Order: sequence, then structure tokens, then C-alpha cells
Amino acid sequence: MNFVLNLSFSDLLLLLPEIFLTCWLCVVITVDFVSPRLPKERLAYLSVGGLLVTLGCLAWFDVNQVSGTLFGNMFVLDRMAIFFKIFILGSTVLVILASIEYVDRFTLFRGEYYALVVMSALGMMFMASANDLLSVFVSLEFSTLGFYILVAYLRNDLASNEAGLKFFILGVFAAGLFAYGISLVYGETGKLVFSDMASAQATPGLIIGFLLIFAALGFKIGAVPFHSWIPDTYHGAPTPVTAFLSIAPKGAALAILLRIFIVALGTFKPTWIYLIVAVSIVSMTYGNIVAIAQRNIKRLLAYSGIAQIGNLLIGLAAGTKMGNDAILFYLLAYLFANLGAFAVVIAVSQAIGRDEIEDYRGLGRRSPFLAFSMLLFLLSLAGVPPLAGFIGKLYIFIAAIKEGLYTLITVGLINIVISMYYYLIVVKQMYINEPIDPSPISIRGPMKAVIYVGLAGTLVIGIYPQPFTDWVVAATLMFANFVTPAATITPPTVLIGS
Amino acid sequence: MGEYALLYILFAPFAGALALIFVSNRQPTLVRGIAASVAFVSLVASLYIFYGYDTVQGGFQFVQKFAWSKELGIALYLGVDGIGTPLVLASSILLFAGIFVSWHIKDRAKEFYIWLLILAAATIGVFMSLDLFFLYFFYEMSVIPMYLLLGMWGSHTKKYLEMTDSEGLKRRDSVGFIFNFGSNSKEYAAMKLVLFLSAFAVAALMGILLIYKFSGLNTFDILVLREHANLMNIPVLGTTLDKIIWILVFFGFASIAPIWPLHSWSPVGHAAAPAATSMLHAGVLMKLGHFSIIRVAFEILPETTRELMPIAAVLCMFSIIYGGFVAFYAKDTKYVIGYSSSSHMGYVFLGMAALNYISLSGAVIYMFAHAMATGMLFAMAGWVYDQTHTRDIPSLGGLSNKMPFISGCFIVGCMASIGMPGTVNFVAEIMIVVGSWNKYPLQVIVAMLGIVLTLAYLFKMMRGLFYGPMNQKYSHAHDAVGTVDRLPLLMMITISIGFGIFPMHLYEVVRSGVDPLIARITHVVPVAESDEGSRSVKAAAEITQPPAIPMVSNKPIAQVSEASRGGQE
Repeated sequence: MNFVLNLSFSDLLLLLPEIFLTCWLCVVITVDFVSPRLPKERLAYLSVGGLLVTLGCLAWFDVNQVSGTLFGNMFVLDRMAIFFKIFILGSTVLVILASIEYVDRFTLFRGEYYALVVMSALGMMFMASANDLLSVFVSLEFSTLGFYILVAYLRNDLASNEAGLKFFILGVFAAGLFAYGISLVYGETGKLVFSDMASAQATPGLIIGFLLIFAALGFKIGAVPFHSWIPDTYHGAPTPVTAFLSIAPKGAALAILLRIFIVALGTFKPTWIYLIVAVSIVSMTYGNIVAIAQRNIKRLLAYSGIAQIGNLLIGLAAGTKMGNDAILFYLLAYLFANLGAFAVVIAVSQAIGRDEIEDYRGLGRRSPFLAFSMLLFLLSLAGVPPLAGFIGKLYIFIAAIKEGLYTLITVGLINIVISMYYYLIVVKQMYINEPIDPSPISIRGPMKAVIYVGLAGTLVIGIYPQPFTDWVVAATLMFANFVTPAATITPPTVLIGS
Repeated sequence: MGEYALLYILFAPFAGALALIFVSNRQPTLVRGIAASVAFVSLVASLYIFYGYDTVQGGFQFVQKFAWSKELGIALYLGVDGIGTPLVLASSILLFAGIFVSWHIKDRAKEFYIWLLILAAATIGVFMSLDLFFLYFFYEMSVIPMYLLLGMWGSHTKKYLEMTDSEGLKRRDSVGFIFNFGSNSKEYAAMKLVLFLSAFAVAALMGILLIYKFSGLNTFDILVLREHANLMNIPVLGTTLDKIIWILVFFGFASIAPIWPLHSWSPVGHAAAPAATSMLHAGVLMKLGHFSIIRVAFEILPETTRELMPIAAVLCMFSIIYGGFVAFYAKDTKYVIGYSSSSHMGYVFLGMAALNYISLSGAVIYMFAHAMATGMLFAMAGWVYDQTHTRDIPSLGGLSNKMPFISGCFIVGCMASIGMPGTVNFVAEIMIVVGSWNKYPLQVIVAMLGIVLTLAYLFKMMRGLFYGPMNQKYSHAHDAVGTVDRLPLLMMITISIGFGIFPMHLYEVVRSGVDPLIARITHVVPVAESDEGSRSVKAAAEITQPPAIPMVSNKPIAQVSEASRGGQE
């Protein structure tokens, strides 16, 4: 193991988005510190501006197919990493825009809120590029650190404090498992970089090590049986943070799962497929059945998120390139639908002050726009054509049926029907029940923009998915090339431009 | 313009729905105008394809193909054959009629028309899809609008109010209430409909995915897949894979048809739905089931169809008798018509099960005929409900004094539903009966009994609604006098009787679609002496037709039946 730290300028270019965002993070904090009277809304737009510049940079990387590795393979920039970075930053932008009004509820540290969100996003960007167990660990903890604070941001709210505590204790526990897993894997193989492990022998220590790592990542994505923190944390956390938590860390952790299971453990697929299939079936079924009983919209979305993770794991169980494509595609569909749904939840809770499902009574009369958006987002989550979620689910099912995972697909299909029930209960409240208080609900510009973006994404991906499938296919193509032994033994030269 | 006709039919309602989003509810005339005009575009284009369809050439016409997803092998592939054409026409007629039937909707009219247009466009999409993915896509897409249409503009049945507390808050929202199978709320009906149809739709999707995998072609194209059906004949789980796929597809789609043990969502849904939705639901949505079975099971798995179609022949008897008896004892106008619809769908299954040129053509014509007849009946039941706010037959009566036009039309509707000579239903029924007599005599006797039952319950309902002493509570009820109110009824009556007297074109169109299909399934050409391959199919179709009502003459039919039986053995 040799760490070559002779960074050239062109190497640093690979880190440009992260470096820029780190500087921008400092700028945001400094601006907040220097001019405390500045309206906090400005800080939000300042952060969004920095994020958009970073997004532009990443888009440039994607178009010009910039790729390469740094720090002795610890940090990798391939098109899959770029995809996930764009995914994470996109969700961050939407979350910040959606939280502008909500931030007024915080009693203290309103400015730091944006800095913390950006900081978590930065950590997740490193997660997307982590190609080594140590860098995974460091970046995972870096991003979670921000979330520990964000979840408990409503200082005077007991639920928020409880959520923070629960998240923190279980999160630290997961970190411990992860560290222990790393130590076992390193002890057995002497390797930390994923692509070097492909030739490892399946010793008991290695298996236990990877099981521990899977448990820690399962905690991050909220798969059953590592989901116990999800409902309470989602319920108690400030709603924009919940929205953020429900999207970005899942994407980042899935990037790591893909790298571990496809790259490091690709040869053990006949073994781990049972693990993934079992977790997937249990997550889907448990999430959907428990969601039926929920009275709080945030808890409902929490359980639906658990079920969606079960769906995503079907793609991982397929273990093929198409399965990876399907996961990426599904994440895109999930991003727009889930963030959109949370944006509506935030907008409604700003007006009503509560998040119970029965508060959505007659939303179709009080705000036709919000109700219609929520309808489309929920139906997309349920997987109804012509919305993005349907194509995503179908993509995953097709990838899985090509691998002959009939049981998994049957369970997945049955779960679509179960999930239809609880999503339609919300639809029933919004459209069929009459409002108690018929006063209209107004929404402000940034929130409207977020919902419009969600609607556009949900509809466009559903009706014309070709550009998006092209994108995800290209994203995992580079990734697939990168994992071939030839490419990893001699680290590829850094390519700038095409 | 001609070759794009299918795109106009399919996308005009979608475009209308999109345009309506930007119109305010404060301009009801504009809302209705947009809805009616896009429906009119669809109707004109449907008439164009119906009369422009080349029956000599046959096959899929007006074909449009756009690549949609390369990775998944999906193309937006549209085209109609002789089976799809009349159903597309029926859908656009009922959409156009339905918009006028719901002309007086006050509450959220814009949203109502949006969902109605999406519902109709989705059903039309199924009838013209030549790609399995899009068939399922449109099929599933038609379910959700039903939920909202039933839930937002539907009505509860009589016992509903007794079951809730005064504000209807608590129990209506509980899980138990939705799953309370005795309840009569519209929420229950809507939820049951969606869950039932989705549950069976995913079974069909599983079948479609299995076809996709085992064909190994990475395509959903029906025309390609049907050439490779033999690939699926592999043993699995003690039977063969094609049988499993067939069962999944058949029962998946038959649930919407609805075949007997899977019918319970349908009358409940009919009863809760507003008039125009009931019309589309009974008129075309139920035909999605038969059509999808023909398109997927018949086209792609012909051999399996021949082996397993007797299942439908058995179940259709229960459909006919059970539906008929429940309709006879039902006291709610919409339940009567709803159960009558599910009973009549048994005839279509009988016609499909016999796998005979005459009977399958009869089944397709029956779908068209039933759409008109049941559309009329639901429109009039809706009118009566709007005027009296009750659907309880015993409490009504003598309404013909107040609404002579409606009561007159109702007689025509009943006649059409029974299958009186002169309506297109007669043509269809006689074809089904004659075509399946040789193979399924018992079922034909049951079907005859079903016709008697239809007569009984429809006349009973007619007497209960329009004749006898009038309840003075309903003296304010008035007739359909405006053009807008009379137009849909007159249109459907005209079409029903028009095709009843001049069925030739409809028959030829249907026959050109049925002939190649049955030839593939049974391996016999329509007439025994023909020996020139596919061209003779057309010739035979012409021979079998005496001028006025085609299927009364017995001789050619006997030949056909003999021939098809020969093919079976």
C-alpha cells in the first residue's frame, strides 16, 4: 500500500467541485458571522448559488467525461461518482429552497443551518467518490455529523430532541459496527481499496466484516432490520431536514453499496444475493404494511421510504449492469417524487402547523395546486403510469427478471398494490373529504419553484425517459469499465477533456 | 392527415386535459367547450379510421411507431386491426356522449372533465397499443382517474348515511371502514375498484414480464413476440411456462372484464360513479379486459389459448346466471344495470371461448353493441338520479308522466340491451349463439336463459321507474328537453339501431381482424373448401353473408363450425 501524494494541478482539478464547495461553505459562514443582520434568506440564495456553480462544474465533468483516481485509489472520480454528486447537490439545492420559510421556526443559529446542510452535502460528495473503506468511513461520518445537528435543530421541540438523540446513538453504533467491519476486512485481506479485494478468499472473518459493513450501510439507507431510527427521526426532525435525510444519504450510501457489492464482492454474488433478496423482501413488505397504520404524513413517508429502499435493493440483487442502471434511474425518479412530496408537506405545515394526514382534509379545495402536486408525487411513489416512479419500478423489475428473480418480483408487484392503498388514503383526504377550514393556502416563490421542479421531473422522466436512461447507462458504463482488473492494476491516467 | 388519425384520437383528449388545467372553473362554458371539442376531434378521427379501415387488406392499419426506450426495448407502437377499430370508435362515442351527459356538473367541473378525458384517452390507448408495455401503461393509467371520479363526484348508496356518525368523520377515515365489505360509501367503492384492478393488473404485468424474459428478444412488440410464442413452451413447476403466463394474463385482465368470481368490484363501482363515468366504465373500461386477453393471450399464445380457453367457457355461465339473478333482485337502478353489464360480459367470454370465426366476431360486435346499450341505460339512470336524488327503485314510479322522452328512450335502451332485432345487439347475440352452439350447447342454453333474465329485470326496473303510481315527492322532476341533454341519448340510439339495420361494414371490419387470429389459433380457414391461403379467408367471409342480417343463414356457419371442430381434434 503506497500513498502517492504528489498532487499535480490536474489532479486537483478532479477535486475542484469539493474544493470550491469547501471554500464556499467558509464564505457562507463568514458572511453570516460578519453581517448578522443580513436576512437569512440571502444566505440561502448564497448557498444555492455556490451549489449551482458546483453543479455546473460537475455537469462539465460529465459532458467531457473527466475521470481518474487520487490518493492511491482512495478517491475516484468516474461517471457514476459524478452522477451521484449531481444527485446529491440537486437534492441539496431543492432542500435549501424548500427550507427558506421553515428556517424562521428555528430560534437560534438560522444562518448556520445553511452551512450545515452544505457541509453534509460535501461529506456525501466524498462518499460518492469513496473507493476505499477508510475514505468511506471518514466521509460517512463527516456527512452524518452535519445531520446529527440538523435533526435536533428545533431546540425547544421535544420530538426533535428525541429524534436527534435516537439518530445520534444509533448512528454512532452503526459507525462502531462499520469500523469493526473495516478492521476485520483489513485483517483478512490486507487491502482497503475495493477493487483490490476482488480476488479475496471468503474466510469467516471477511464475511463477518462485510456483514457488519452492510449493517452500517443498511442503517444509512434505512433497510429493515436496521430501520428502527427512521420513523421517529423523520417524524421529529425539522421537515426540510427530513426531506434531505430521505434522499441524499440514501443515494450516497447506495453508491457505496454498489461499489462494495459489485466491485469488491462481485465474485461472491451467488452468496450475497440471498442477503440482499431477504433484506429487500422484508423492507418492502414491512415498510408498506406498517405505513398503512400511520396517521402522520412524515411517518407515512418514512415507512414508504423504507419500502422504496426495498425496491432499490431489487436492482442490487440483480447485480448486473442493467440492475445498476435501474437503481440510478429509480433514484432519479425517487428524488423528484419524494422531495416534491416533502415540499408539499412543508408548505402545508407552514399554513396549518401540523403534519397529521387528517389535516390534509379538503386540500383539493384549499389549494388545488398543492393537492394536485401531492397527488402526482404520491402516485409516482406508488408507481402509476405515466409518472417517473412507474418507469423506475419497471426498469428494476426488468433488470431483475432478466436474472430470474421471480420471487423478488412477485413480492415487489404485490407491494405496489399494498402501497397504493395508503397513498390513496392521503389522496382521499385531499380530494374526497371536505375541508373543515376552507381558507385557501398560499405558497411562496421558492417553495413553488421546488414543487415545479419536482412536477417537471416526475412527468418528464415518466413520459420521455430516453435521455435519463441514456445518462444512467453511460454513468454505470464508466463504472463497469473501471472495475475490470486491467483498469485497476494500473491506475488510469487522468483525463481532462475528451 | 389520414395516417396520423390514431395520434389525433389518442392525444386530443390528453391535450384537452392539459389545456383545461390552465382554465379557471369560473368559466364553465369554456371548460365544457374545450372538453366537448377535443372529444369531437377524437370522434371524427375515430369515424375516419372506422370507415377508412381497409377490410380487404386487413391487418394493423394506421400504424405509428416511435422509439421510446432503447434500453428496455419499448416503442410507442400504435395501430388498429378489425378488433380495435370498433372499440376505439365506441370509446370516442361514449366520451363525446359522456361529456354532454355530465354537462350540468357544478362542483369542480374542470377537474371532472380533466379526469374524464384522461380516463377515456387511456382506454383508447389500450385499444390501439401494439406494444405490451404501452398496453399495460395505458391500462394502469385508466384506473387512477376512476378513483378520483368515483370519490369526488360519486354518490353513496342508500344505507350509507345510517352507517356514519352525523359528521361522517371518524368512521369514514378508519381502516376498518374501508375494508368493511358491507359498507356502501363511494370511498369504499373507489378504493375497492383501484385495489382490485391493480392487484390483478400486476398479475398481468408479471405475465408480460415473463413473456419479455422468455422470448429473449428484448422487445415488447406484440407483432414480433407473436412470431416467437413457441419459445415459451418449456416445462416448469409441473406444467409448462406458457400455461402459467396464460393464466396470469387471462385472470389479470379478466378481472376488469369482469368474469364471475372477480366481478364484485364492478357493480359497486358502477353504483358509486357519476353517470358519465359509469358509461365509460361499463361501456369501454370493462372491454379492456376482453380486448387485452385477445391482444396478449390470443395473439402471443395461440396454442395455449386453444387448450385453456374452456376455463372461460365454464366461468361465463356463472357470470351470466349470477349477474342476471342479482340484477333481478337488486333494488338500486345502478346496481341493476351494473350487474346486467357483468352478466352480459359473460356472452363476450362465451363468444371468445368458442374460438370460432362467427362467435368471436359476435363477441367483438357485442362489445361495441353493449357499449351503446349500457351507455344509454346509465345515462338515463343518471338523469333519473339527478332529478330525484334516489336510485331506490321501490320508492320511484310513474316518472313517464314527468319525463316522457327519457322513458321512451329507456324502452329503446332496454330493447337494445335485451337484443331485439333491429339493434346491433341482436346481430351480436345471434352470432355468439350460433357460433358457439356446436361447441358449447350448454352455455348457449344458459345464455338464452340469460336473455330471458335480462328481459325480466330490465322490464321490472322500467315498470318500477316509469310506470305505476307516481310518488308526489318527485313531482318536480323534469324531462330532458335541451338539445344538450337529448343529444347523447339520440346519438347512441341512432348508432345502435343504425348498425342493427346496416351491420355490414361493422361486420366486415371485425371479421378482417378476427379471421387471421382464429386461423392462427385453430389452424383452419373459415370455409372448408377454400384452399388459397390467406386471400381465401376474405373470400369466405363474403360468402357467409346473406344481405340483411348476416348470420341467420345456417349453412355456411355449420361448415365453419365443422371445420373448426375438425381443427381441434
